[in-house]
Amino acid sequence: MPPTRTAGRSKKPPPDGFEDIEDTLLEFQNKMKDAENASHDGKKKHEMLWPIFQITHQRSKYIYDMYYEKEAISKTLYDWLLKNGYADPMLIAKWKKQGYEKLCCVRCIQTNETNFRSTCICRVPKKQLTEGQDIQCVNCGCRGCSSGD
Amino acid sequence: MADLPVRPPAGLPPLAPGWTEHKAPTGHSYYYNKETKKSTYIRPILEVPSIQSHHVASPPAPPAPFSANTNPGLFNPLATNNQFNPNFQQPNLQFGGPQQQPFQNGPQHQPRGGHRGGHRGGSNNFQDRRRQPEDRPKHRFDIPDCAPWVLVKTKLGRRFVWNKDNNESFWKFPPHVMKGVVEFDRREREKRERRARGEPSDEEDTAMAEVEADLAAAEKEMEKRIVEVDGEVGMMDDSEYEEVEVTDDEGEEGDKAPKRQRTEEPSEDQALEMGEDDIAWQLAQMEAMEEGDFTEDEEEEEGMPLTDEDCKALFKELLDDTRISPYSPWEKVLENDGLYDDERYKALPTMKARKDCFDEWARERIQYLQEQKAKQQKLDPKIPYLAFLHRHATPKLFWPEFRRKFRKEPEMKDTKLSDKDKEKLYRDLVKRLGLKQPELRSDLSNLLKAQPLAFLNGSTTLDTLPSSVLTDLRFISLPASTRDSLVETYLSTLPPAPEGAAASAQEEAEVARKRAERERRQRALAERERRVQEEKRKHERDLAYGKGRLHEEEMEIERAMKVGKGGLKG
Repeated sequence: MPPTRTAGRSKKPPPDGFEDIEDTLLEFQNKMKDAENASHDGKKKHEMLWPIFQITHQRSKYIYDMYYEKEAISKTLYDWLLKNGYADPMLIAKWKKQGYEKLCCVRCIQTNETNFRSTCICRVPKKQLTEGQDIQCVNCGCRGCSSGD
Repeated sequence: MADLPVRPPAGLPPLAPGWTEHKAPTGHSYYYNKETKKSTYIRPILEVPSIQSHHVASPPAPPAPFSANTNPGLFNPLATNNQFNPNFQQPNLQFGGPQQQPFQNGPQHQPRGGHRGGHRGGSNNFQDRRRQPEDRPKHRFDIPDCAPWVLVKTKLGRRFVWNKDNNESFWKFPPHVMKGVVEFDRREREKRERRARGEPSDEEDTAMAEVEADLAAAEKEMEKRIVEVDGEVGMMDDSEYEEVEVTDDEGEEGDKAPKRQRTEEPSEDQALEMGEDDIAWQLAQMEAMEEGDFTEDEEEEEGMPLTDEDCKALFKELLDDTRISPYSPWEKVLENDGLYDDERYKALPTMKARKDCFDEWARERIQYLQEQKAKQQKLDPKIPYLAFLHRHATPKLFWPEFRRKFRKEPEMKDTKLSDKDKEKLYRDLVKRLGLKQPELRSDLSNLLKAQPLAFLNGSTTLDTLPSSVLTDLRFISLPASTRDSLVETYLSTLPPAPEGAAASAQEEAEVARKRAERERRQRALAERERRVQEEKRKHERDLAYGKGRLHEEEMEIERAMKVGKGGLKG
């Protein structure tokens, strides 16, 4: 049985600076809700999760930017955000590595899940694709996230 | 207006010493002075016998026998042709000298509504068929005291008079109209002078001096002639009616256009004198300049450079003005519609540059905001809560009841103040509310007296009370009406604030500097925008002119190819 939620527990305030990014996070939250509730008529089975992946990516990127690029939020707030599931720490961990700066989702570099033990098509640089080839990966609908593009 | 001087008539007076006659590739002759290195289309002649010849060669009166049907919209071309020609052939012959007058043989050749009919009149003359910008009436002025007569100015700056009543129009002003026109000109000139006052016309003077030196003699003659013929020299300055090159090829000539051109662009002037055959081009140029000379001058004066930093700063200002939160993501910024309308948006050329700029701006801005926040003392979370209690707390409600009743209020939901503190404050307050009024009053005055003068002084108002007062329960124990009057009377007895507010001068200077910098950049951007517009307009004009020229040439070829029954001779 889950612990009962008392007023005191839920009332613990987020760290300082949360109110600055709160609006943006709320927007992301609303977008996510819309994406979750959107009908998937006529969509392929694998297409259904694309918007979810995209919004997750955007939100993670936003928090990553705020902490690492713009240094707008404190370490405590960043940790709190990660802990509370506002951003995907695994994805952010990949972004810090060279060559993975634009990675769309962690699944796309998971070689164990593919038939030929290779990464997803979206990881292939545009140069190496044939001319005018338009791709969209099955996992998250990414159109190419090679860091060289 | 014929665009090119035609060959001077036979039996010309001898050339002035030092001048030699040459033939231009286009067929007409020009004159070159080896000593002064000047060349001109006008035949420079010895002064003494020149009166008569110049009299003939360059009549100064502006109206040119251009074409009667230049403006089919204004009057019936046929009718005017009919009345125009017989009446005025005689005087034109008299003044225009022996050269061919386009308009004389015009009616036979020109198509009825054709704008360029007048020029095409002498279609056997190749030179006359050169590119010629279309002329058409452009402005209409009322002539003072000449009721039915109206002065019409054409696109090329030539003028004629038109009688509204009987639909007559003349290039040559009838004498009674002439007076009105002179009067009108005088007024116009005065107006122009008044407008131009303040900017010296040195440039014009020098250019004019050059021309005048070249043609001093001719001009003198002209002045004399003006006296003789029109009796108007007293009112018109000679530059206004001066005719230099163009006069001797065509009897009567519009004066303004070539003159203005010459005064404004000396290089043009040279080209014209050198016989770089395309006067039509120059006319178009001149026309363009008439439209745009003011702005161009200004542009030369202040060509403010817009550096990269300026562009960035402009974009940052735009971001500042849109009041976007620096915490918002770039995609959110792009959703803002007002962004694209602003011309500062175009200060940066690419989207990537804009994004970089935005990142930079956001970083700076966030840093600034954080500094501000650090500087500003933290607002005590107690203050709004106590204000809320002051409004709603009552001894009738216990704390759990009060909390339940107001659980939706933001002050109650605020997590900054723990529930324990809230409860304690509420209980204390309710306890105090049971006390007697005089006691509460004395408590309040004690509280106020305890405040140091730096926080609480004569300049403090009810809205700017220090937090030490606002967070005290004694302050909210009394009802608002009695409390406020008490506090106000106490504040009025206090001396003014002690010195210590002089540190703001430096900040003010900083702000002023920033504002000046910003204004400069704004101006530079406007400048650039205007220059681009100007460039665009010029380009369009050039294009249009080029097209016209092409068309003209096509027509020429077509005309040349048209061989009648009489063969080439015909």
